[in-house]
Amino acid sequence: MFEENLLLNPLTWVIIILLTTAFILFYRVIVGPTIPDRFIGVNTITTKLMVVIAVLSILIEEYFLLDIAIVLVLVNTVGGLVLAKHLERCAQDGN
Amino acid sequence: MVIELILIIFGISIMIFGAIGLLRFPDPYTRLHAATKTDTGGAISILIGTALLAPAPLSVKIKLVLLAILIAMINPMISHAIGRAAHKSGIEPKVGIDMYARDNP
Repeated sequence: MFEENLLLNPLTWVIIILLTTAFILFYRVIVGPTIPDRFIGVNTITTKLMVVIAVLSILIEEYFLLDIAIVLVLVNTVGGLVLAKHLERCAQDGN
Repeated sequence: MVIELILIIFGISIMIFGAIGLLRFPDPYTRLHAATKTDTGGAISILIGTALLAPAPLSVKIKLVLLAILIAMINPMISHAIGRAAHKSGIEPKVGIDMYARDNP
């Protein structure tokens, strides 16, 4: 976008740092003691990956990737609400 | 050029702090507190900084701002749903006062 060397571009460093942070958060998804912990980890990783996709579409000038990011946010919404309602309903049935 | 870089660096640093908080807090509610607010603020900051920085057509910038608005509406809603489900499935918070149990007996 700005230079030929991608490492001089600040958006490349955004992608590298966000992917490293998302990889660190897999510890909470795998080890997490309860189910809401794992779910918080997955939700955070999804938001970070959405930002990575949006920045990548600007970086390599392929603007259709932004539509994929918007669809990912909407799918994350539906999945999150369904899983939260499922947890709540399982707790009520158990009691 | 300066304002965009300040926004992007602020977003990256606040996302790193949110990840550290998600790893080190003791309790699902405090982890939710650390993860969701920093994630929402950092994502909005990075997206608006990128929309100001990018040499792209206007429709692309409008899509980036739309993405920021969607995150600002959706992410707190999922956070609230997770917290409510965790409290109703019987996870006790490790704090002194449980205000949700006091208000909803």
